[in-house]
Amino acid sequence: MSEASSTGLALEVQDLSRTFGARKALDGVSFELPRGAFLSIFGPNGAGKTTMLKVLSTLTNPSKGSAKVVGLDVVQDAVELREHIGFISHNPLLYPDLTAEENLEFFAEIYCIDDPKDRVRELLAAVELDHRRFDAVRTFSRGMTQRLSIARALLHHPEVIFLDEPYSGLDPHAMDILDSLIASVRSEHTFVMISHDLQKGLELCSHALILAKGKVVLFDERDALDPDEFKTTYRDTVGMGVA
Amino acid sequence: MAKISAMRQFRAILKKDIVMELRTKEMLTSMGLYTLLTLVVYYVALSRAGNGFDVRLIAGGLLWLAFLFTSMLGLNRSLVHEKDQGCLEALLLSPLDRPVIFFGKAVGNLIFLLIVEVLTIPIFIFMFLASSPIVGPIWEIALALLVGAIGIAGIGTLLATMSVNTSGKDFILAVLFIPIMFPLLYAVVAATSGVIIGDPGYQHLFWTSMSIGGGYDVIMLVAAYGLYEFIVGA
Repeated sequence: MSEASSTGLALEVQDLSRTFGARKALDGVSFELPRGAFLSIFGPNGAGKTTMLKVLSTLTNPSKGSAKVVGLDVVQDAVELREHIGFISHNPLLYPDLTAEENLEFFAEIYCIDDPKDRVRELLAAVELDHRRFDAVRTFSRGMTQRLSIARALLHHPEVIFLDEPYSGLDPHAMDILDSLIASVRSEHTFVMISHDLQKGLELCSHALILAKGKVVLFDERDALDPDEFKTTYRDTVGMGVA
Repeated sequence: MAKISAMRQFRAILKKDIVMELRTKEMLTSMGLYTLLTLVVYYVALSRAGNGFDVRLIAGGLLWLAFLFTSMLGLNRSLVHEKDQGCLEALLLSPLDRPVIFFGKAVGNLIFLLIVEVLTIPIFIFMFLASSPIVGPIWEIALALLVGAIGIAGIGTLLATMSVNTSGKDFILAVLFIPIMFPLLYAVVAATSGVIIGDPGYQHLFWTSMSIGGGYDVIMLVAAYGLYEFIVGA
């Protein structure tokens, strides 16, 4: 295993900045998150939340500063780091013309998983889609697609799971199913979730972070937060507008 | 998790593209129909040229023009599949060296191009060369088609990846593709025409053209391999 195992931190972010031309999407962000934590990131549109997730998941390089996920640098160790992270987005990241089983088998091959067929069957059962495993993803409802997306993200037993507004567009029933799925694997992973839903984000998290104009406005353990003060801070940041 | 194997990942991407194409038949159908339509238009236009006109003089150019435009149609489709629903992002999030994505997509495109070429050639010969047969051996035509298809699939995959994130992807691909492909097109058209017409000493022209085309393929594939990480991450 990598040096990832030697540190107790899931995320180490130091003075992280990302610019797009003259615009600073992230501006000197620093924080640390212990392993096993659930971080909810809040902030207005354009605050830099998605950019931060993209940097942490190696999709975008930082312009300045550094970030480590489970001890691995997001730039220097990007390929190795990708073995340790999973990503769930409001976009399913699945091939609509392939069946549920074919989609998972494809990604199992990409992650070079041992016994891919067994792992795929296990996950399809876990997300209660085994009865639809031979159906094309394009025939799935939004909730079913999102459940399959979770199975895809869990295929390779990632240590950290990034969630980019996973509840977006789900009906209440699908949200309940997603809640129970996250709860069932909650103890095995570190989660980093972007959310616009204050209540849901706070309900799930162990740590909360508010971003505005690319800067950290607040970062603390949820238990240390005063809910009223948190909501006031959040409303103030929404008023700060985009980065 | 087993040790990451680039060959296993390459096979997975190639298999996925073939399975999806066999299921949807989008690329092969659109490319096949477009080629057929082009040949019919050529046929109608040339039928008015009169009996004295030797169609072999322009047959190489006609054939490659049809393949060039057809391939642009297919190349755009191949990357649009990856872009749909964020699938390209899913690949970029996985422990996959970017060139593996390039080779997986490029080999898939090459297979589809070759299928279209194999289906087109007999129709082309039947429509245009039935009364004035090809002088050189058919394997030389096959070699020219293979060299051309490798370059089109390789460079086309690279350029399609560049253009897929832009709003005018069809326009961008066409603007970049034709000038960059010009040396290869020149070589394969010259080689194909040489074999069809069969002038004395055409062998020299054929092998010179094949050397240029093959060299172009190697240089461009190496360049695409080196640039793909930068392009796909941009």
